[in-house]
Amino acid sequence: MMQRSSVHLEGDIKQALETGRNRLLVTGVVFMIAFVAISARLVDLTVFGPPSRPLIAHVAAAAPNVVSRSDIVDRNGVILATSLPSASLFADPREIMNAAEAAAKLVKVLPDLTYSEILAKLDSGSRFVWLSRNLTPNQQYQVNRLGIPGLAFRHGERRVYPQGREAAHILGLTDIDGNGIAGIEKHFSDALKNAAQPLQLSIDIRIQSLLRQQLMDSVAEFKARGAAGAIVDVQTGEVMAMVSLPDFDPNQPSSMRGDAGFNRVTKGVYEMGSTFKLFTTAMALDSNTIGLKDGYDTSKPIRIARFTINDYHGKNRWLSVSEILKYSSNIGSAKMAMDVGAKAQRFYLDHLGLLHPSEIELPEIGIPQYPQRWGDISTMTISYGHGLAVSPLQMAGATAALVNGGIRRPVSLLKHRGMEAPEGERVLTTGTSDKMRDLMRLVVTDGTGKNANAAGYQVGGKTGTAEKQVGGQYAKKALISSFVGAFPMNDPRYVVIAMLDEPKGTKRTFNYATGGWVAAPIVGRTIAAMGPLLGMLPNRQNDGKDALPRLASISGARHLETF
Amino acid sequence: MIRHTTLLFLLVAGALSVALFSIKYKVQDLEQELAFLNKSIYQERQSIHVLKAEWSFLNNPERLGSLARRHLHMGPVLPAQLATLEEVGSLQDGISIASLSTAAEARQ
Repeated sequence: MMQRSSVHLEGDIKQALETGRNRLLVTGVVFMIAFVAISARLVDLTVFGPPSRPLIAHVAAAAPNVVSRSDIVDRNGVILATSLPSASLFADPREIMNAAEAAAKLVKVLPDLTYSEILAKLDSGSRFVWLSRNLTPNQQYQVNRLGIPGLAFRHGERRVYPQGREAAHILGLTDIDGNGIAGIEKHFSDALKNAAQPLQLSIDIRIQSLLRQQLMDSVAEFKARGAAGAIVDVQTGEVMAMVSLPDFDPNQPSSMRGDAGFNRVTKGVYEMGSTFKLFTTAMALDSNTIGLKDGYDTSKPIRIARFTINDYHGKNRWLSVSEILKYSSNIGSAKMAMDVGAKAQRFYLDHLGLLHPSEIELPEIGIPQYPQRWGDISTMTISYGHGLAVSPLQMAGATAALVNGGIRRPVSLLKHRGMEAPEGERVLTTGTSDKMRDLMRLVVTDGTGKNANAAGYQVGGKTGTAEKQVGGQYAKKALISSFVGAFPMNDPRYVVIAMLDEPKGTKRTFNYATGGWVAAPIVGRTIAAMGPLLGMLPNRQNDGKDALPRLASISGARHLETF
Repeated sequence: MIRHTTLLFLLVAGALSVALFSIKYKVQDLEQELAFLNKSIYQERQSIHVLKAEWSFLNNPERLGSLARRHLHMGPVLPAQLATLEEVGSLQDGISIASLSTAAEARQ
């Protein structure tokens, strides 16, 4: 090599060689730079390449949702409504080779179909016919196994309600395209679409189930047209259970027709009768119109205009405030309401949420009915629950405010998150609420509500029996019998309301169909069943009348100073 | 010298292309596996979803209640059957064990 480079070249040849070498050098350098750049980039991508890594994780996480409509679950996470992938079977009749054989095979696998119908469809000669909608995965597998050419599936989803009828009126249902048409499904129809999280309700399906069972038993026993019941948490306003009978199976939309689709708890408004005396008493105590040791003479019926107000369980003597509730005296309540005055009565009822529609998250909400002219007669009749119609759920919400210390909170079907009770509106003083608790307890220990007692749970409440208006007249035999109660009365946690629509008395109830005979036992049995379920320890020591020494001693003795 | 360099570069280029192709096929295989895994994850999620619905259906309180009554002779817990630890301790003194067992018998 040295030999060759030492060869001396002269002139043009040397010049040409020099140029060639320079050009090679430049080209070499350029290529070198390019290779260095490429290898640098390679090293960068392979060794220091974090930006490319999340891409893989991202692909896995962004796997599409299994279904497009999210689940509805109860407060413990039990699924109440869910969408299942489903397949619908269709055929291209022109590709079917032997229609008769195919139809015979299909009918064997899908017994719902009839042979002649399928044969007619397969012989139609069109290019597309639906054979069966919403097959189960098992049915789909069996159809596939038949191996008939010309059959195919279209994938969709179907809304199912695993708990069946249990919470039918709360959940409502969807139409075939998956749009809500009733209940929660309708109210939250848009929110349920493509939501990542299931919608959690305040309902406890176990309590819902046992309330429904109790109502069904009573509807059967008293041959009632229907029933309504609700359980509300007094501190948060959460609805723990809500039942309206008759109900329907949301898995079979046709079962919703007629009376079964009517939600008596929220949509139905009823004159609730004597349970309203609780509110009359509360407003009288709260406005300092009367004290617990006061009372009224109930010996004579009140005659006003063409009306006569009479007592059902007449005592014909002076009654103290607690006795007016205990014996459910219309005369006493009417006099009490007159002392409170129409304006204050309206104010209290309005703030207890009884004069405007409920805030519950359902489309089926009844509008309360009350007289436009709120005169003396109205004041008197409303004091014992006639002339004003509200839904049973409104009653439950207002009763919660009576016993929880006097704060009204809107009732809600959504589970309350967080430790603090939601903010509410104070309608009664804590003192009034305390007195109301004692009075309600007294109705159950000594008064018309004895059948609502549940040993150890200190139930308190009020019975109500109202005659239904039929064509502007009150019908003696068509009753709305109800009981609204709360427990345990020393520190109330739940309000329970039960109402029967047109119950008929039986031999066992001596033909009575009043609230105390037909509705109070429902509440008592429900509380006895739900208490242990919620782990509430019954109070065995302090369960008699002695629990309320303050009230037990004032009966008829108007001059006794017990306070 | 040029011949040696060329040979070297040819070798390097050859090795690189072999490596490149093998990596490419590996990636393709991995991607296929990923797609397969994603598909099976989706299918598993779908079956979990269906099974959850079935679980909820099978746990219907009314159904469980009737099964428990029929096969286990059990019923709802009665208020009288609830007790605190202290009360259980005092049961040894025979104070209220009678009331608890009568409550249980009354139901059957």
